[in-house]
Amino acid sequence: MLAFAVRRIAVSLPILLISTFIVFMLASLSGNPLSGLLTRNPPPPPETIALEAQRLRLDHPVLERYWMWLTGLFRGDFGPSVQSNLDIGAEVAGRFLITMRLIAVAMILALVLAVVIGVISAVKQYSKTDYAATFLGFLFLAMPAFWLAILLKQAGIDFNNAVDEQIIYTIGDSSVPLPQGFGAQVADIAGHMVLPTISLALISYAAWSRYQRSAMLEVMNTDYVRLARAKGLSRRRVMIKHALRNALIPLTTVTALDLASIISGAVLTETVFQWRGMGDLLLNAIRTDDVYVVMAWLLITATVVIVFNLLADLLYAVLDPRIRYA
Amino acid sequence: MRRSRAASLAAIGAVATLVLAACGGGGGEDGDASEGGIYQDCKANPNTCNAVPAAQMQQGGTLTFAIEKNVPNWNVNSSEGNVFETGMTVKTFLPWTFTTTPDLKQVLNENVLVSADQTSTSPQTIVYKIRPEAVWNDGTPITADDFVFQWKTMNGKDCPECAAAQNAGYNQVESITGSDGGKTVTVVFGTPYADWKNLFASGTPLYPAHLAAQQGDLNTPAGLKAAWDWFGATVPTYSGGPYQVSDWQDNVALTLVPNQKWYGAAKPTLQQLILRVITEASQEPIALQNDEVQVIYPQPQVDLVQQVQNIPGVSQYQGLGLTWEHLDLNLRNEYLADEPLRDAIFAATNVQSIIDSTVGQFNEEVTPLKSHMFVPGIEGYEDYLPPEQGSGDVELARQILTEAGYTNIAEGQQLTRPDGRAVPPLRIRYTVGNAIRQTTVELIQSQVRPLGLNLEIVPTDDLGGTTDSGDYDLIVFAWVQTPASFSNAEQTWNSTSSSNYGEYNNPEVDRLMHEAATSTDLGPARDKLNEAGRILAEDSYVLPLYQKPTIIAAQDEVANARNNSSLDGPTYNIEEWGLRAAG
Repeated sequence: MLAFAVRRIAVSLPILLISTFIVFMLASLSGNPLSGLLTRNPPPPPETIALEAQRLRLDHPVLERYWMWLTGLFRGDFGPSVQSNLDIGAEVAGRFLITMRLIAVAMILALVLAVVIGVISAVKQYSKTDYAATFLGFLFLAMPAFWLAILLKQAGIDFNNAVDEQIIYTIGDSSVPLPQGFGAQVADIAGHMVLPTISLALISYAAWSRYQRSAMLEVMNTDYVRLARAKGLSRRRVMIKHALRNALIPLTTVTALDLASIISGAVLTETVFQWRGMGDLLLNAIRTDDVYVVMAWLLITATVVIVFNLLADLLYAVLDPRIRYA
Repeated sequence: MRRSRAASLAAIGAVATLVLAACGGGGGEDGDASEGGIYQDCKANPNTCNAVPAAQMQQGGTLTFAIEKNVPNWNVNSSEGNVFETGMTVKTFLPWTFTTTPDLKQVLNENVLVSADQTSTSPQTIVYKIRPEAVWNDGTPITADDFVFQWKTMNGKDCPECAAAQNAGYNQVESITGSDGGKTVTVVFGTPYADWKNLFASGTPLYPAHLAAQQGDLNTPAGLKAAWDWFGATVPTYSGGPYQVSDWQDNVALTLVPNQKWYGAAKPTLQQLILRVITEASQEPIALQNDEVQVIYPQPQVDLVQQVQNIPGVSQYQGLGLTWEHLDLNLRNEYLADEPLRDAIFAATNVQSIIDSTVGQFNEEVTPLKSHMFVPGIEGYEDYLPPEQGSGDVELARQILTEAGYTNIAEGQQLTRPDGRAVPPLRIRYTVGNAIRQTTVELIQSQVRPLGLNLEIVPTDDLGGTTDSGDYDLIVFAWVQTPASFSNAEQTWNSTSSSNYGEYNNPEVDRLMHEAATSTDLGPARDKLNEAGRILAEDSYVLPLYQKPTIIAAQDEVANARNNSSLDGPTYNIEEWGLRAAG
């Protein structure tokens, strides 16, 4: 198992390195970090622009800039941002936690929903429940995430109006200022989390519940499940203990593989709900041609995706012991 | 079975809710936004609409105003900090000399100054008298020292590495001396500067020199630079304005409380003022509807205006601003260097139809702009543009080309110059993602097609780089005016200016603009600028399109917040903002 993990990491590192090189070149050659300054009105003096170009290392060839960036990483230097006051490392660390909170809660919600609804759909195949779940699944799959988020916001406002109280919020991860008292603070943060997590969860849930349904159906038709039933075990015990365990294996892989798309979904969710996480950081960096911030984003998210894929492989082996010996 | 039916009903219910929510838009048709509400008299009285006397205002309360960008640098006078949103933000706690009011007039900031007068024209001398009670919030008086610090950091000579947002005017000041305990400031210019009211004004407010002095020796470039950078990087606790910062969450919100040492006539009634960063304009109306913010000031778009109009209890007002769109031709292009072709392009371009298809969709008051030098509302505006320019008169355009010896002047053909060379497709550029400009360039493309002229639309994601390098044949973008436009004009049109992207060169225009910018008598200066504009227009270099509208939307409980289409923005009178008393 250890050798397997080490081998996977060894393969991932060159991929990470190559992707940083490609992205650095694309970002550096397609954008102009001085663009913001050049469009100021009145324009700054030429000396100011020259100083800024120097600070952003634009006086070096692009390959040299990449090398400076790469070697700087070992000293904890992520490079200069277009915003001279921005410490990229500290900024990314703070924002990473915000995004992870959103992604973690949304993934748990999506997984629970997907497993529960997927299993119910499978067990009650071709029932009205199954049709309703299928309809909803395809509806959320087809719905543009942005539109879904706006609908959720509107529903949240209607809810607030109906109960005549401010419970659901549409922007930020907490109120400013945060209300006094522990209970009120928890309620406030929860009120800010409801819509973004549902929004992000529904998109993944839709696909995952379909996987779970088909995996469950497949397992239910296997010999060992029939055997377990024939032995006289209760239906509930067979479903949970024997069928579900095996039916979770495909979902584990899908979840890990989907992480990259969840992160990109989070970029949109963060924008719509104005969470200041990694997604917001990336969009802002692209908008301002902030090459080194884009690079930091890439490094962190690519590492997370690689780590999660590794974890999924390991978990896969735990769920299905046969894989360990393959 | 029962459970299954319940699930089906729940599913149908959920879908129905979503669909209804989508159709409803939340507001309903009884919204009072567009016409009435708190902004009903803004058109007639832009400076006093939504004015509520202090006695009718709630004492205390919190008001949240949405700003569209983070504050990455607190030094608004630096090139990096010189962003509109930062400008609106620092107006809550910094003092300045002149303000632009909603009717686009420059007026003395009477909170800070008793007077500011030009006492001599040779050498040009301005005397500012600061109110004796004007102090920073630590009790230190606001004095000439604060003026001197700004001058030294922005003149480009005393602190070459300060990277100031602009040097204009500051680099013409010969000396600044304080007297009367620093409360009288005498500014003497080496060469006259017509726009002197722009100095130390709301666009470049004063920072506390006594705190700057703690960062280094202000008589050395290094000391000045250290102070300059400190102001940029440090979340301000100092204040010489009505509010002071109590909390800053980066990228999220600035929380302000009243400055106890505030010396102005109007005292803030709010307990807290919050500037909340919402970087996605489309989310602002929803936050307004959900009472998470009470005032928004986004860029108007069709959807956004409609959305705001549908929110009950919210009023909105659109004003016409100092930002104006224009079509520029690049004279470095050998084909466009020929004036008849330029004349024909401007004649064939139909500005009214461009307005009707873009900003006219949500603002009926936008009209074609007829000047390069001033916008309507600013003293000096003259409608001098030749009537054929922007008229969409294709026949006239054809006639101009025919008379100049062009051939193949018809759609589907390739326009050919008198020397027999065909005019190749020209590139027209705009900022990618800007839907209004995209429509504009598409219309221009179709409007000149009947001349046999083909335009290739090429968006750019680097407007600054594109204009700076002159990498365009035609381009649509915007300039921002100030009420005092003299140096601004020179900056934009002078043949040696770095902002003269299309390399326009007319010595007569240069002379007139320079005379205007160095004049101490503004009446004749305005005449000279208009004369320069007329020549510029006849040369068919840039076609003005229209003034861009601005929009403010606020909940009806908000008092004294109103639209200000200048670079000051609505926070120009932040000390008066508050909430109406209930009932």
